[in-house]
Amino acid sequence: MSTEITLLVNGERRAVPVDDDDLLLDVLRGLGHTSVREGCGVGACGACTVLADGHSVSSCLARAVRYDGAALTTADGLPADDDVVEEFVAARAMQCGYCIPGFVLMTHELLAENPDAGEAEIDAHLEGNICRCGTYLEIRTACVNAARRRREAAHTEKESA
Amino acid sequence: MTIDSRSAVSAGVADRGSAAFEGRAVGESWGRVAARSKVRGELQHAADEALRPCLDVVVTRSTRPHAEILGVDAARAKAVDGVVDVVTGADLHALLGDAIFTGPAFADQPCLAVGKVRYVGEPVAAVIARGRAAARAGAEEVAVDYRELDPVHDVDAAVRGAPFVHDELRPSVVFGDLAHLRGIRDTNVNYEYVLRHGDPVEPPPGSVTVSDEFWCPPTHHVPIELPFTAAWRDGDRLEILSTTQTPSYVRQSVADLLGLPLASVRVRTAPLGGSFGAKMYDRLEPLAAALAWTRRTAVRIAVSREEAFLLTTRHGAAVTGSMTADADGNIVAADADVRYDTGAYADVGPRITAKSGMVASGPYRIAQAHVRSRCVYTNKPSAGPFRGFGVPQVTWSHESLVDELARARGEDPAAFRRRNLLREGDVSVVGTPMHSADFVGCLDAVTAALDWESPLERPTGRYRRGRGVAVGIKAVLTPTISNAVLQLNQDGSATLLISTVDMGQGSDTIMAQIAAEPLCLPEGAVRVVAADTDVTPYDTITAGSRSTYHSGNAVRRAAEAMRDKLIEIAAARFGVAATDVKITGDGLVSTQTQQKASIPELLHAHFGARGTTLTTEADFRTTWQPYDKRTGRSPQVTEHWFAGAAAAQLTVDTATGRVHVEHLAIAGDVGRAINPALVEQQLTGAAIMGVGHALFDQLVFDEGQIVNGTLLDYQLPSIHDVPDRITPIVVENPHRTGPYGAKGVGETTIIPLAPAIANAVRDAIGIRFTRLPLTSERILDALAAQEEPS
Ligand code: FES
Ligand code: FES
Repeated sequence: MSTEITLLVNGERRAVPVDDDDLLLDVLRGLGHTSVREGCGVGACGACTVLADGHSVSSCLARAVRYDGAALTTADGLPADDDVVEEFVAARAMQCGYCIPGFVLMTHELLAENPDAGEAEIDAHLEGNICRCGTYLEIRTACVNAARRRREAAHTEKESA
Repeated sequence: MTIDSRSAVSAGVADRGSAAFEGRAVGESWGRVAARSKVRGELQHAADEALRPCLDVVVTRSTRPHAEILGVDAARAKAVDGVVDVVTGADLHALLGDAIFTGPAFADQPCLAVGKVRYVGEPVAAVIARGRAAARAGAEEVAVDYRELDPVHDVDAAVRGAPFVHDELRPSVVFGDLAHLRGIRDTNVNYEYVLRHGDPVEPPPGSVTVSDEFWCPPTHHVPIELPFTAAWRDGDRLEILSTTQTPSYVRQSVADLLGLPLASVRVRTAPLGGSFGAKMYDRLEPLAAALAWTRRTAVRIAVSREEAFLLTTRHGAAVTGSMTADADGNIVAADADVRYDTGAYADVGPRITAKSGMVASGPYRIAQAHVRSRCVYTNKPSAGPFRGFGVPQVTWSHESLVDELARARGEDPAAFRRRNLLREGDVSVVGTPMHSADFVGCLDAVTAALDWESPLERPTGRYRRGRGVAVGIKAVLTPTISNAVLQLNQDGSATLLISTVDMGQGSDTIMAQIAAEPLCLPEGAVRVVAADTDVTPYDTITAGSRSTYHSGNAVRRAAEAMRDKLIEIAAARFGVAATDVKITGDGLVSTQTQQKASIPELLHAHFGARGTTLTTEADFRTTWQPYDKRTGRSPQVTEHWFAGAAAAQLTVDTATGRVHVEHLAIAGDVGRAINPALVEQQLTGAAIMGVGHALFDQLVFDEGQIVNGTLLDYQLPSIHDVPDRITPIVVENPHRTGPYGAKGVGETTIIPLAPAIANAVRDAIGIRFTRLPLTSERILDALAAQEEPS
């Protein structure tokens, strides 16, 4: 059955007709958000990660109808000066790059919950994402640096408050 | 947990920093092209592109490993809502004849099975529908009637004889050296390479021989981007957009399939989301082309991960090997009998069999070597190229044997290797001399990184520590061809047309740097166009670490020709001799009159218009001398050699059988690093993939059927599997004809990786493993067996 749902994708309200079993992955790709990618279809690689109300979701397993009204973030919709993106670029954390948007969003989720995350927390949080090119060291560095940047920004804010 | 800072072991690049180099590109770690759009996911991969409306294709797959197809009933499938058509192999065979059998070495693989199926998962019928869901539903409804035949799953059983996977061998017409195999019947061995070097002699007194049986299981590439192909007719032309490393090959293959001129087939690529050998030669393209052409429609094939596992695999390989050292510790003899399991279709297996067979005794000076390397059909999914091209499988055996041989002599395994390794100018057992392949330098670099000479702390409790090392050798694919067309735009930017495909190895960045160097162009000035056979010139393939050298040389030549053109134009303008004009970062300068013109000024004046382009082109070809049929030897079997080494320090948890890699050092002789940061990423990335192959990564089969063909079941290295410390080391011995001395690097460190880890495990717990991977169960079993009183 086709129903119309409303998704708030990267701050933009989108009304989309969906069937009950349409996947969030396909709906978002259909809306042009091709940073959301199918790598496994079974929740085991993280390439399809999106944030729904700030929480990471494997969109390959998610029925779109369940996200009616949700605020969704995809990597391509991050602000132009996004701190996590900046640190991934600086750390050269990409080879083919296919997996990287998923890692970027996982990093956002982690740092929103725990800006003090260290390497152990980072590894634990990113363990479900696969980078077949083997860029893990650079990804970890990017994540560590993004955490530092967050803490410093928070500190400066406090100072100036 | 760090990547050590780069410790370049440079052999003194003769021309580095000398007056011959005015450019500032080569040797610099320019940022990867499209870095930001990759991080944001904005880079468009093939399946991301907006296309004309396409029908979706899903295939019905064989449920039998070996069977005759008695009939295909598509009635129920055609009744599924949205299904437009169902096409069988018999339908396509009636229209296109034997042309539907394709393959890079043997023309043995139909895009849909004709008459027989040869593995579980083989495509039998294609369902064309509006939408993937309808196509899937239709594919479920196709009923196939089979008459079962006896299958053969084991490579050694297949060598012995019946049942036979193919009634007769069908080598591709393209290769003269395979022609003698045409029509041979009653065998599963589709190719055999034999190497005979030196005369067998009795081992001298005091010599030591070690021998064993080794096994590398099949594995899968699992690039995260899934394979995708779309094809449509454009009048009397066929256009294809595909995830492929081999656009020039695909154009030829599809032109042959449909009987079209090359100009009537357009194959377009987009950057690949990884490949590692998975996306090359004939994958989804022949089926998409045949359907689009014969049905006069636009089709799209987007496969699931489960289906991707069935498209190609890495060859499982059995090696029976032995090695002998004389009393002085010189390796005097080596023997290897190699059987590659190529599955139901040969793909490029025969080439792998020869190219890996010739290095099956390792990078050593050996008086007498004998190799027999065979490519064997079985009723399993076809095996094809995989990062390393079959060499990791034989390295697994020779680097385990060398290690045992050193131990049997009571000698340090690194010292024993060092004495026996090939040096510059040495002629390898295959008859071709060594150049720019510093095995000793690589070995020294990785052992120094591990502080090899200092005693290792060896706890005796639950955790045991060990160190291991291994060295690898591989020949670059020869002969091959690359072309480059360079357009210098009037504003000083440049557009480079090559058919090398960037799949994450960084070729777009490397080629931009090579093009920029003679023209003194800054970072970001050179745009590399994605391979498109309507636009970009022929290139053999993007594979086998060949691009930096081959495409790089073509690009360098095109760029140097461009520099010469600019100098000519400037000399005419300045009224001086061409020899007086130099190119700098600011443009063209007369050393005599100090007159200056920037590239934009010069071209604007030259053409009298803005926005113009100046074009140059170049090609680069390598040649070889085919190996002698009887001895397998040739004085020029390859254009150059890759040399790499790996050393690992690790602990084994004797309670759980888990291996924990504390420090991994990897080195590759890259000739010269065009972009050191990208070279390090290749070294490190290949090593992490190799850790997976050493410890857990494998395809598991039961009666020919893949049992772990999903990412829930197939284990890949995650961030937890990364060693505590990785030290990538760039060794540079410039190649005399490499572009600025450079060679490729993509496979160098995966080759010695698994044996380095197994040798360290041997060092830690005293057990030699001959079968990969070293799973915790396997280690626990071996420890239990070690405990048992004999
Ligand atoms: S595609 Fe969703 S986790 Fe892999
Ligand atoms: S960068 Fe290629 S898969 Fe991660």
